[in-house]
Amino acid sequence: MTVPSRGEVKPGLAGRPGLRDLLTGLGQGAADDQPVITAGVAAAGLEAAVRQIAAHPGARLADVFVCAGSPQTNGGPVTLRLVWGLDADRTYLITESAVDGERYPSLSEIAPAAFAEECEIYEQFGIRPAGSRPLNRVALPPGAGPDWPRLGRAPAEPPRDVHAPHHVGGHAFEFPFGPVRQVAVESLYYGLVTSGEELVDLYLFTWHKHRGVEWRLRGATPREALFQVERTEGLGAVGNAWAFAGAVEAALGIEPPPRAMAMRAVALELERLYNHAAATAALCQSTGLMIGQAAAEIALELLLRVNAAAFGHRYLFGVVDIGGTRADLDAAALGSDLPAAYGELERAAAALLSTNSFLDRLEATGILTEEAARRLGLVGPVARATGLAIDARADHPVRPYGQSRPEVAVQDAGDVLARFRVMLAEAAESVRLIAEIGRTAAGPGLALPPGAGPGQLASSGLGWAESSRGESLAWVALDDSGRITRARLRPAAVRNWRGFDDACRSQNVFTDIPIIEASFWLTAAGTAR
Amino acid sequence: MTSQASTDQAVAERSEELRRTITRLFGRSLHIRTLDTGSCASCEQEIRLLAAPHYDLHRLGFFFTPAPRHADLLMVTGPMVRAFENAARKTYDAIPDPKVVVATGACALGGVYQPDPFTRGGVGDTLPVDAWIPGCPPSPLALLQGLLVAVGRLAGKVQDLDFALNGIPQ
Amino acid sequence: MPLWTLRGLRRGVVTTRYPARPDPSARLLPTPPAFRPDMLTPGLADRLVSVCPSRALARDGDMLVFDVGACTACGRCRAAAPQAAGASGEFELAATAREHLIKRIPLGGRPA
Repeated sequence: MTVPSRGEVKPGLAGRPGLRDLLTGLGQGAADDQPVITAGVAAAGLEAAVRQIAAHPGARLADVFVCAGSPQTNGGPVTLRLVWGLDADRTYLITESAVDGERYPSLSEIAPAAFAEECEIYEQFGIRPAGSRPLNRVALPPGAGPDWPRLGRAPAEPPRDVHAPHHVGGHAFEFPFGPVRQVAVESLYYGLVTSGEELVDLYLFTWHKHRGVEWRLRGATPREALFQVERTEGLGAVGNAWAFAGAVEAALGIEPPPRAMAMRAVALELERLYNHAAATAALCQSTGLMIGQAAAEIALELLLRVNAAAFGHRYLFGVVDIGGTRADLDAAALGSDLPAAYGELERAAAALLSTNSFLDRLEATGILTEEAARRLGLVGPVARATGLAIDARADHPVRPYGQSRPEVAVQDAGDVLARFRVMLAEAAESVRLIAEIGRTAAGPGLALPPGAGPGQLASSGLGWAESSRGESLAWVALDDSGRITRARLRPAAVRNWRGFDDACRSQNVFTDIPIIEASFWLTAAGTAR
Repeated sequence: MTSQASTDQAVAERSEELRRTITRLFGRSLHIRTLDTGSCASCEQEIRLLAAPHYDLHRLGFFFTPAPRHADLLMVTGPMVRAFENAARKTYDAIPDPKVVVATGACALGGVYQPDPFTRGGVGDTLPVDAWIPGCPPSPLALLQGLLVAVGRLAGKVQDLDFALNGIPQ
Repeated sequence: MPLWTLRGLRRGVVTTRYPARPDPSARLLPTPPAFRPDMLTPGLADRLVSVCPSRALARDGDMLVFDVGACTACGRCRAAAPQAAGASGEFELAATAREHLIKRIPLGGRPA
C-alpha cells in the first residue's frame, strides 16, 4: 500500500539507480517513491540478500524482530523482519522472511549489530541463527521456564546465563555490580571484569527491569497502547510515542494535519533540549564538578518548566496522539520562557568548555571508533560523535523536518568530550528549529478524529523519530478491528547500550564508568521494555 | 464499648504513638535511599532534582545516601518487576530500623501497570509502605511535600480533599 | 574557579521557599481531576471508567470511586466529559494511609 509522501524531500528511487539495482537484485520491481519499502525474501536466500544489502552504500541494519504466526498456525512459520536504514537513499527497507523450523541464516556474522536481537528472538520465539555461537540471556530472568509469557514459542534449550563472550587473560577477575546502584539512578546490572583498576570488560544485564511491554500491547487499541508506550521510557516519551503513532498511521494510511506535525516537532526538540541539559548535569556530577552540576540543573529545571508551560507536562507526556497531537502549544509561554532557560544552558556550557580540570576528564575517555559505531549499529549523538553522520530527521525526514532541515552535528574523536560537543551543538540547533517550526506552523486541526482513515484494514506500518538518544523505531501490525497483533518498540537505547560495553573497555578505569555512562545518557527503561 | 470499637480505638492510639515516635526520630535530619523497581526513569529524574538548586532538599534536613545501612527512608519507584523482587527485599532488609518506606509515583501506587506475570503492579505487596506520593511523575514540589508528610513534619492534605467540584470545571 | 564563583553570585538564589511559602511554578503542574456530582450519570461514569488508562476510576453502585494514587493526571477523563470533570489544582497529594487516596463521588446527575 502506498504511504503518503512525507515532507518536501522525496525519498525512494528517484535518481537513485543504486537502490533500484539493489531491489531488482532482491527480486523486487521498481516501486514508486516511498519512504518505506517492504521486500519479501525467501529464508533460503536471506543470507545472500543480507550480504547484498549490507554492501549497499549507506546501509545500516536498524532492527531485527520476529512476528509469530497467527494463532491458527501456532508452532508454524514465523516471520523474520529486518529493518534496514538506507540512509543515503532516504529509505527504510524491510525484508520479510518466513522461517519454518528452528533455524534461520546467521545474520550477526555479516551484520554484527544483529547479535543482541538474535538473542532476544531466541528467548521469545525459540528460533536461532545457524551456527553454534552461544546465545545470551537478554530480557527474561534466570529461571524463566517454558511457561513464562513470551511473544512466541519457548526455546528448546535455555540461553546462556552469561554475558557476551570475552577473553579474560592474566589476572583479571569479574564481579557483578547492581542492580541497586547509586541513589536516584535507575537499577542496572553490570558485570565488571577487571585486573584491579583497569576495566578489561563490562557487560550489562537488563532482565531485572524487563516489563514485557510488547507482550502487554497485544490486543490493545493504538490509543490505549500509546499511554503505555509513553511510559516505557519516560525521558523519551515524545520520540517513542511519535515512532509508535507513525507506525499506526502508516498502517492505517492516515496523515496528521501539518499543524499537528509541527507541534510534535516542537515537543521533540524540547525533549532533546532537556535531555542534553540533564546529560550535562550528569557529566558534571560524574567528574565531581558540583558547581557545574548546579548550573546545568538550573537550566534543566527551567527547561522542564518550559515544557509544562508549553504543553502541560514537564516530561511532555500526553502530547503525541494517534493522528496528531492531544495538547496544543502555548506559543506565548514558549516564546517568553525558552530563551532564558536555554541561556542558562549556554552559559553553563561555555563555562564548562573553559574549565580544564573538567575537560581533562572527558578527553580520550570512553573512546568509540566510527568502525565500532557502524558495526554495532549505533545511533544518535553517540554515533555522530564518532564521525558517523546519521540523523533520522535528515536521512528520513518526516514533516516538518523536510522543510525545516536540521544541521547534523558531527565530531570525530568518539570520546566523552566529542559526545558532549555534539549534544551542545544539537541543543543550539533545537532552539533554532523550535523558532523556525513555531513560525511556520499553521493550519487548523490538531488531530484527526478517531476512526479517520480508509478504514481499519489488517495492516502494518513502520514509524520512526530521532529522539534525543537517537533513532527510535516502531513497527505495528493491526488486525481488521484495528487492534494490535504485534507491536515492536525499538528505542535508541536498545542499540546504544551495546556501544557502552565497547566504550568502557580497556584504557579506562572504574571512575571513568559514570563519566562514560553520563555521556551516553541512555536509560535502562529504554532497553528493558 | 463493642469489641470492634475497642479494637478501632486501640489501633488509633497505636497509630498516634507511632506518629509521635516517627516525628521524634525523623523530625530533624534523615537520609534517603531510592529504589527503582522498574520505573520509566522520569520519577528518578524528578528525585534527582530534589538536590538541585531550585529545590535543595538539604535545607530541610534531608540527604541522599547510597548506603542502605546509613538510610532512614526508602523512596521506591516503579511497579515492582517480579524479577527484581529479590533485590528489592534485600535492599529493604539492609536498612536498619527504624525506617520509613515511601511509595513514589503512580506505578508504585498501583496505577499504569496491572499485576501480571512481569510486574506486581505496585510495591505494596512486596514492601510495607508508610507513605504514598501520587504523580506521573510526582514533581519535585510534590516529592518535598511527600517526604515532609512521611516523617510527620507536615500534615497531609489529601485526606480532607473530596475531588468534587461545585461549579463549572475550568 | 573564579569564573564559576562570579557567575554563581551574579545568578542569585533560585531556591524555592516551599513549604514556608507557596511556589508559583506549581500552577504549571498537571493535577488529578475533580468531578461534578450533579453532572455524573451512571452512563457517563461508566464511560469515564472505560476511558481511564490507569484504572483509577471504578463504579460502585451510585458512586464513582476515584483512586488518586493510580491517577497519572493524563486528562483523558476530562477530555471525554469536560462538563463533568475539571482540574482539581491539587498537587500536594501525599498520604500516610492508602485509603486517604480513595475518593467516592456520588452520581447525582439526571440522565437526559
